Amino acid sequence: MAIISRRARRKAAPYLMVLPALLLLAVFAYGVGSGVVQGFGVMPFLDRTEPALAYYEEALTRSDLLDSILFSLYLSAVSSVGALIGGVALSAVMTRAEASRFVRLAGIQVPIATMHALVALALICLFTGAGLFPRLLHVVGLAPDATAFPSVVGAPSGWGIIAVYLWKEIPFVAFTTLTIMMNISASYGEAASTLGASSLRTFSSVTLPLCRGPLLRAFLVVFAFAFGSYEIPFLLEPTVPKALPVLAYIEFQDPDIINRCYAMALNGIMAGICTVLCIIYYVVLQRERVPKGRP
Amino acid sequence: MELSLENIDLTLGGKPILHDVGFTVPDGAFASILGESGAGKSTTLKIISGLVPQDSGRVLFDGACIDDVPTHKRDVAIVFQDIRLFPNMDVAHNVAFPLKMRKVARAERMRVAEEMLAAVHLEGFGRRRTYELSGGQQQRVALARALAARPKALLLDEPFSGLDEQLRDEMRTLVSSLHERFGMTSLMVTHDPDEALTMSDAIMFMSDGRLVQAGTPADMLLHPAHEAVSACFGDAAAIEGAVAGGAFTAGKLALPAPDVPDGPAVLVRVPDREPFVHAL
Amino acid sequence: MTAATGQNAQLAARVRRARRGRAVARALVGVELALVALPLAIIAVWAFTDAWPWPDLWPQQLSARGIEQALSGRQNAGVQTLALSIGIAAATAVVSTAAAALACRALCHFQWRGRSAFQFAALLPFIIPSTVFAMGVQVVFLQAGLARTVPGVVLAHSIVALPYAIIIMTDITRAAGTRREDAARTLGAGTWQMLRHVTIPQLLPGILSSLSMCYIMSFSQYFLTLLVGGGKVQTFVLVLFPYLSGGDRTIACAYSLVFLVVTFAVFFVFELLLRRFGVREGDDLYD
Repeated sequence: MAIISRRARRKAAPYLMVLPALLLLAVFAYGVGSGVVQGFGVMPFLDRTEPALAYYEEALTRSDLLDSILFSLYLSAVSSVGALIGGVALSAVMTRAEASRFVRLAGIQVPIATMHALVALALICLFTGAGLFPRLLHVVGLAPDATAFPSVVGAPSGWGIIAVYLWKEIPFVAFTTLTIMMNISASYGEAASTLGASSLRTFSSVTLPLCRGPLLRAFLVVFAFAFGSYEIPFLLEPTVPKALPVLAYIEFQDPDIINRCYAMALNGIMAGICTVLCIIYYVVLQRERVPKGRP
Repeated sequence: MELSLENIDLTLGGKPILHDVGFTVPDGAFASILGESGAGKSTTLKIISGLVPQDSGRVLFDGACIDDVPTHKRDVAIVFQDIRLFPNMDVAHNVAFPLKMRKVARAERMRVAEEMLAAVHLEGFGRRRTYELSGGQQQRVALARALAARPKALLLDEPFSGLDEQLRDEMRTLVSSLHERFGMTSLMVTHDPDEALTMSDAIMFMSDGRLVQAGTPADMLLHPAHEAVSACFGDAAAIEGAVAGGAFTAGKLALPAPDVPDGPAVLVRVPDREPFVHAL
Repeated sequence: MTAATGQNAQLAARVRRARRGRAVARALVGVELALVALPLAIIAVWAFTDAWPWPDLWPQQLSARGIEQALSGRQNAGVQTLALSIGIAAATAVVSTAAAALACRALCHFQWRGRSAFQFAALLPFIIPSTVFAMGVQVVFLQAGLARTVPGVVLAHSIVALPYAIIIMTDITRAAGTRREDAARTLGAGTWQMLRHVTIPQLLPGILSSLSMCYIMSFSQYFLTLLVGGGKVQTFVLVLFPYLSGGDRTIACAYSLVFLVVTFAVFFVFELLLRRFGVREGDDLYD
């Protein structure tokens, strides 16, 4: 008897352990799901229960909406690729420089802990017409007055938005790989160099492949974040096109509650794109699950 | 290749690690560095391979100073104690790695990899992942990988310490026979006196960052010149071998045994006594 | 380092090359540190600026009026706002970390049906934008009476922070393994004794970094707080945000500076705790 109850308890244990997290995730899924359903025009609280595809159709055919989708994709693609490359470089340089714990804290943890919107504010202080950078240009004689310098706010290329994401996410990517890189450099790196690999070859054929999983993971997280967050585009973007989350929120706030359906359709599109990413991420994670040879 | 060290000094983080270390391993010989842990043995290998630059002194390959040659151009392969197979590659690609670094064509790389795997008795293991192998198999892959580099010198850093006793014996035999077959200068770090005695043409004994005695295995055993050496050989132990014509041999260890009949015999070491040979 | 002292020129050349490589890397790290510091510095300077006419490179007049306003806040509620934000962030950190620590134990040490499905689900808040979640969940929370309440905000924040906590806790839980717990069991430790003396101490570095990560996530959450809190739950970020796009740069930067100081103070406390209880450099506690 005792044996059986112990076994039963052992079987139940993992389910009890995931229960709190599962509840949180259920609320998340319910929230996202209810939004997606509203995108089909289903709003039980307004007695609307007939699903319709019209809002999605409209979202995908209205040219300004399509522009927004493309603009958001552009912002997140450039930011995430840049963060990936910059993060790998930062991690490699920190490894090579044998950076101390303090330097790693200052160069990596500090930007991670800083709020995105504050970085946007700092860019405004630096790069708008009366910012520090145009003043410097003026002092060296390159800008005659405060209007000569194109402002970071509302730049059609969105370079300010991308700069904020890069400032935050390059350290984030580095954070996910730095420990691995430092360990690799000490063990596999030595092995590779005694087998005839130069430091560049070691980096490309041993270090990078071993960091691949965490890097792809970080890339997808950065992409999804840049794709779906509201604050930075709201502060820095041009009048048109608007980033997808900003547009969705404008529609969401519209006094006409039916416009919520457009907002939710846009959200549904965002969620769809991100779910595809999530599946890629999951496949990668499963591949990484294989046990590794001990270093 | 003849491998020489001259007056090597090294201090790391304010701690003296090596002091005036110098020795020569003749071309094609198998030498061992013997000593307690912390004696500076592994550091000596790192200096030879260029992973750690010494403070002063010289490293010479065939009489030429190679101190400005970076590690990856030195052609010395290390078999590490902790193995260090690349987990992102299968067994064959691990073995072929040094050839890839030397820009050998792919077909040739894979052929050599297969040949080296055969040499360590792992035919057909090429497609396996490294973590699927046992510890002994992994160590053999590491050996094959080092051999595939066709190094001028093979450095072995306590290569058998992670293996159980029986595997260790097999691996010793394998390493000795591979050394016989490929004939490259080899230098092994070990703290096991019997391992050093039976496998080596020459033994360098290190203690506290200094080279305290160097000589043939028989010399070291019969005429220890330093108390650390006699302490190391002082524990009770028995080495199995054979006597023929008044001489006892076990691996590369050869001692006179005038009064012992031909046939299987054992060399017995007991504390505070001369070692003696006993017929089985 | 001359020939007279037994040093050889070749060795010196190689050592010099290695040093040069490291010096270049150090210089690049220095550039990165400067790029990190620049935006923070400009915020700090603007926070104390009273007048800064074009094209001066340094403010003409400094004052503390911005900081005073940021600390007193609207209707003199600045300190309460800060306290509320810190409370919400601390609660979020505890909820997410506790849920993640338990879940990771199940993920790493148990085999069960639905394990990989759970793993997949745990990533969703990572990838699906919190804006989507926020707009969708608003109605749900309104119906459930959670909207415009502090517990509702904590719940929403905890969900968004959960995947970060799970990623951090998974690594350390897997590395810690069950070997020491098994040993403790065989030595007669009961469940609570084992948790107290073995499990929690060995997970502590992860628990601390997870707490600090979730705290920061919650503390800087704007959009989600806006929608779930409905303007009724006023966290510091909610007060700060309108100033960011507004005209008075001194006030905006003053709020931001207070925000930064509070974030880094908490960050610093966690770093001290990590140093006190955590893994020291080069100490392979989890070998």
